[in-house]
Amino acid sequence: MQKLLILIVTAVLTQSVARATTTLEWWQFWTDPDSRPTIQAIVDDFEKANPDIKVNITDLTWANGQEKIVIAFASGTGPDVVELGSDWIAQFAANGQLADISQRVIADSGNFQGWGLATYDGKVFGRPWILGTRVLFANEDLMRKAGYDTSFLPYNWPQLEQAAINIRHLGKDYYGWGSNTAEKHRLYKKFLPFFWSNGAQFFTDDNRYSIISSMKAIDALKFYKKLHDSAGFVGDQRSIEDAFLDGKIGFIISGDWLLKRIEVEKRKIDFKSGPIPGPKYPGKSFLGGEFLSINQASKNHDAALKFIAFVTSPENQLRFCKANRSANPSSLLAQQDPYFTGNPHLQAFIKQIKSAEHPPVDPHWVVIEDELEKAIEDALFGSRLPAQALRNAQTRITQARAKQ
Amino acid sequence: MRAHRGIALALGLPWLLTFGLFWAFPMVYSLFMGFTDHQLLAKSFQWVGLDNYRALFRDPDFVSSLKNTFVFVLGTIPFTTVLSLAMALLVNRQFRGRGLFRAGYFLPSITSLVVISLIFTNLYSRGGYVALLAHVIGLTPPENGFLYDSGTALYAIMAMDVWMAVGYYMLIFLAGLKAIPEELYEAAEINGASPLRQFVSITLPMLRPVTLFIVVINSIKSFQIFTEMFVMTKGKFDTATTVYFIYDTGLTTQFKFGYASAAAYALFAIIGLFSLAQFILFRRRQEYSW
Amino acid sequence: MVRPVSLPANALRYSLLGGLLVVMVFPLVWMFRVAFLQPGDSLSFGSLFGGGFTFGNFADLFVQTNMGRYLFNSALVGILVTLGNLVFCFMTGYTLARYRTLTNKALFVTVILILMIPAHVTIIPLYVLCVKARLFDSYGALILPWLVNPIGIFLVKQYVESVPPAMEEAARVDGAGEFRILFAVVMPVCRPALAVLAIQIFFTNWNSFFFPYILTSREELRTLPVGLALFQGHQAVDWQHLMAGSALAVLPVLALFILLQRRIVSGITAGAIKQ
Repeated sequence: MQKLLILIVTAVLTQSVARATTTLEWWQFWTDPDSRPTIQAIVDDFEKANPDIKVNITDLTWANGQEKIVIAFASGTGPDVVELGSDWIAQFAANGQLADISQRVIADSGNFQGWGLATYDGKVFGRPWILGTRVLFANEDLMRKAGYDTSFLPYNWPQLEQAAINIRHLGKDYYGWGSNTAEKHRLYKKFLPFFWSNGAQFFTDDNRYSIISSMKAIDALKFYKKLHDSAGFVGDQRSIEDAFLDGKIGFIISGDWLLKRIEVEKRKIDFKSGPIPGPKYPGKSFLGGEFLSINQASKNHDAALKFIAFVTSPENQLRFCKANRSANPSSLLAQQDPYFTGNPHLQAFIKQIKSAEHPPVDPHWVVIEDELEKAIEDALFGSRLPAQALRNAQTRITQARAKQ
Repeated sequence: MRAHRGIALALGLPWLLTFGLFWAFPMVYSLFMGFTDHQLLAKSFQWVGLDNYRALFRDPDFVSSLKNTFVFVLGTIPFTTVLSLAMALLVNRQFRGRGLFRAGYFLPSITSLVVISLIFTNLYSRGGYVALLAHVIGLTPPENGFLYDSGTALYAIMAMDVWMAVGYYMLIFLAGLKAIPEELYEAAEINGASPLRQFVSITLPMLRPVTLFIVVINSIKSFQIFTEMFVMTKGKFDTATTVYFIYDTGLTTQFKFGYASAAAYALFAIIGLFSLAQFILFRRRQEYSW
Repeated sequence: MVRPVSLPANALRYSLLGGLLVVMVFPLVWMFRVAFLQPGDSLSFGSLFGGGFTFGNFADLFVQTNMGRYLFNSALVGILVTLGNLVFCFMTGYTLARYRTLTNKALFVTVILILMIPAHVTIIPLYVLCVKARLFDSYGALILPWLVNPIGIFLVKQYVESVPPAMEEAARVDGAGEFRILFAVVMPVCRPALAVLAIQIFFTNWNSFFFPYILTSREELRTLPVGLALFQGHQAVDWQHLMAGSALAVLPVLALFILLQRRIVSGITAGAIKQ
């Protein structure tokens, strides 16, 4: 009889607990065996700390994740919390798909970097999580062979060009510069540091007109093309990195994943990393990142806010960065951890983030990106002059933005 | 006769159900969307009539995607068809090791398209095996690899497609060859017909339905070529085909689903006309030559 | 019936066959070779012959992912869909070939039309449909829409058309029922086409990525291609593991082919003799 009573009581209790539980659907991209267990551990910890909230993770691939997100949002079945790349936020936000969390994150605004990438129309639509930037990698061996001191790292454009050409002259199989082929979503990221460092901008200050073909932009593209023509190893990012690791390229621009590769594959290569050169002194790099946003249609905004704050907390960022070997946490506190300050290569990234710029947060960004990339392609691989190519892009960007 | 009609319908029921339950709605839905300005993330859309279709044929990206698609279709179908028939004839007769050759030729057809595309991305790269081969026979491969050159990228993908498809169509030809009754050849033999004559007046006509299948299916598939470009070139270097265009405008870059649906139905009409022409060309002849 | 063949002709035939074989299998040999390389090994020409050798990539797949489950799901879905297609495509294809009624002609048009629509514009309505029908994220979404494949119907139809109808008529004269004729007389004759169909459907399903990826979310429902795609990290293509997974994926279909290819060989002769 007593047993039965206990059984009934437990049944009722579990029932009521079950009723109070909120379930959050979270869609995220970190699925490789290095980072996925940490994602799970962070979620487990969150559930332990918040017994009334359960989190379901759905894994997305980098190649097709966007489609799945768009299809779900389009049919009104999007998840409560979604990881979005910074270049998608404006488009989702402009269509009212994301929750405005401005008021809820004010307290945190000074402790994290990257808010600008998630701010559209003066409102914040996502919490910065893992940022992404790129630095200059240099092969010390080749620099030495070309007659440079090991303490040397090109600091500005003339030095970079000279060093790249000198390395190119070492022999048929040596290249000074890793130049991306027409690779969607990658090529423009390589050019933008040159564009920004030279003082070029996408729009006029009032944001109304595209000035992508300003003199400064044209000069930047001309210089980029010069590097490409005189010393470039042309390939996709992967083969450029392969060739760099095989000791065939002097300088490439790459991200933190290259550090991970060198470690995992136990590559023996003497390399240096540092800021990307600008016209006269070190320039600006590209800043992008992964953000956690809340679906406007979600019924669990409070639980979702709690969850994204938990995932992006300094401790959890540090934990995740260590597991995944990401070098760009958005948390300023995490950036000051000895894990980053003690390693010169990771430090190069932390430093570069400070002087990195991000593309405009514009609902037409994908079109802008596409046109910019076409212009770079036309200049590098087609027959258009840089000025011509950029002017073309400017016209088409202006048209696309005027439509709506 | 009425009983027959009942049977005919009963036998077609599984397809009727599948089509009705799963595919009729998607077809009608996307056809309808082609007449709207539906943008995937927007909360509302408007009827725009034929605007999308008008805009399409003024869109240089769409027009060039059509051109690339036609180059692909017209450049691969004849090769695939003739080669797979030749291979089927080659491995049809009994000889030692036949199973091995058949399995070998068929192997590419059972490997996933994504994987094959990745393999060839590597083979076609700068310094890859194909470049090496080109050097050996005295040609100069493009400096940045075959896929990163507007002059070669599309042809490289076409060659891969032929390579990949011939094994499967060979198999269908083989099955088709088995449907030809031996008596026909025996009768021809008695009449003193040469092997070539037998091929032209028995094998080819008897293979007509199977050939029609191969040509129609291969055309439809080729008009919708996409995955190869998605994995290998992302539509760059003049390889953007129409389905790539649809994917790009509809599902990734701009989410212009209405516009992309219109493009899909424009392509649909083109494929339809093309297939119709093939059906007419291959119209079934009731009488056999022997 | 085998004619005596002269030695030079034989040599010519085998060198032709052999050359073709090299061209056809080389890229896949490369795949198998890379699957056994150490991560970080160069993929260049030399490594095809020299280079390291390890089973580690395969081991990683099983240790670091739920590979057993993915294989099970792929096999389950593949087998059910293949069986469904064998029966249903055969029925529909046969009726389209032999009963040329108006409804059947209309039916055939839908078969062909559905093939001509790019999947990228049907995926969204299909997704909505699956969500509404509570099929989303279930085996149902992986199986039900694919039970009758238009290509299969078309293949059977074309094949039946190339088979002279004499046998069925004879059976009909003998007083056999239609379903008996269908499954006991016509089906055995269609074995070559059905074998091709089985291989085709199985491997299409086995390798299918886009629809399973969009229509399911739970890990328990992941099929092999989805699992392998998720194994890949953010930036680089991890060739060694990718090729290990791909090699693993090819083997079952290859086995099925070797199993079924006899059927394609034997074919009609067995059926025709009864005549």
